[in-house]
Amino acid sequence: MMNDLKHYYFSFEELCDVAELSSHIIIEIVEHGIIEPDGADPENWIFSTQMVTVAKKAYRLHRDLNIDWQGIALTINLLDELEQLKLENKQLRRRLDRFITD
Amino acid sequence: MEFKDYYKILDVDPDADNKTIKTAYRKLARKYHPDVSDHHDAEEKFKEAGEAYEVLKNTKKRAEYDEIREYGSHGQHFQPPPGSQSSGHSGEHYQGNFSDFFSSMFGNSGRDEAQGFRSEYAFNQKGQDIETDMPIFLEDTLSDVSKTISYRLPNRDSNGRITEINKTLNVKIPAGADDGERIRLKGQGAQSIGDGPNGDLYLRIRLVPHPLFDVEAHNLIITTPIAPWEAALGAKIQIPTLSGKINVLIPANSQTGQRLRIKGKGLVRKDGHGDLYAVLKIVMPDTSNDEITQQWEQLAAKAAFDPRAEWSK
Repeated sequence: MMNDLKHYYFSFEELCDVAELSSHIIIEIVEHGIIEPDGADPENWIFSTQMVTVAKKAYRLHRDLNIDWQGIALTINLLDELEQLKLENKQLRRRLDRFITD
Repeated sequence: MEFKDYYKILDVDPDADNKTIKTAYRKLARKYHPDVSDHHDAEEKFKEAGEAYEVLKNTKKRAEYDEIREYGSHGQHFQPPPGSQSSGHSGEHYQGNFSDFFSSMFGNSGRDEAQGFRSEYAFNQKGQDIETDMPIFLEDTLSDVSKTISYRLPNRDSNGRITEINKTLNVKIPAGADDGERIRLKGQGAQSIGDGPNGDLYLRIRLVPHPLFDVEAHNLIITTPIAPWEAALGAKIQIPTLSGKINVLIPANSQTGQRLRIKGKGLVRKDGHGDLYAVLKIVMPDTSNDEITQQWEQLAAKAAFDPRAEWSK
């Protein structure tokens, strides 16, 4: 089996490696609450796989669209919300379809 | 190679000023950024706009391009004039993705964008990360399950050519996998172009829609058809769950839309099991006959029930 549980969580240093981002960018991303690791300080931070994806996305948006970190935090929140709503909408639509007889 | 009309791509006039070009680019970049857009060609369109802007924002490159455009835009195919590959490296370690058309004019190092990801242009950089969807049936999320995943990834053969190959892996999907969750498989992405480590593979869990069950957070919902007399008198019925059938009591005088909770038969989450909700839906038989109609008539006369009493208030 290719994966095991220890790959699901990363230290600060590991996250920098895995996401290929420099530490000051990760710190910006954490300080703006875009990702919220467990642990009180950088030495004790623990990141999930999900956070790798979010950090990389945050950086791409920052680089490609010239958005400052505050704006990125907002963008990511809104994108998450949009995705949630789309999913919920799809689920509710399916439930509604089961109830309606044409 | 195909000629690219950068003005058309940015939807600006050939005599547009820098400000107009910048605004046009920014608009397209926002619209088609692959992290934002749902458009099926988003990535392609985003790259195209970036390439067009890269050329048109720079006076020197724009002048070079305008000259080539004069000659080359008439046919579909474009032959680069000899010696036009001005400032190129070999491109060996470059991982940018501008078109051949761009490279034919400006070489592979023509891009002057600010350095991005750490070691983005370094020789021994890590191979590309790959992200792919992993469809999972609801039944498979109840316990750890082993799945085979096939995906395509760029591979460099012994001649240094990049082709796409198929790769197959066995993956353990942990119990309680949730829609949108990602699993990282270290080193299973694309090869490094230099001597760097392989990229990683990210599997994005996609719960396959189920013919019977709908998902609501960690609970499941099953729409449960019942006959009018089952609703009236109550009934003991069998309801399917993700793990076999279960007996459920429908109380007398049940209503359409009423939810019956079946504890612990929902999805598995880190904090325990969700529940299954049977949502009742009273349905009429497809066929009838005189005798049955007569009995309904008797019932109608006896019941004295106005289901629309709310309306006449």
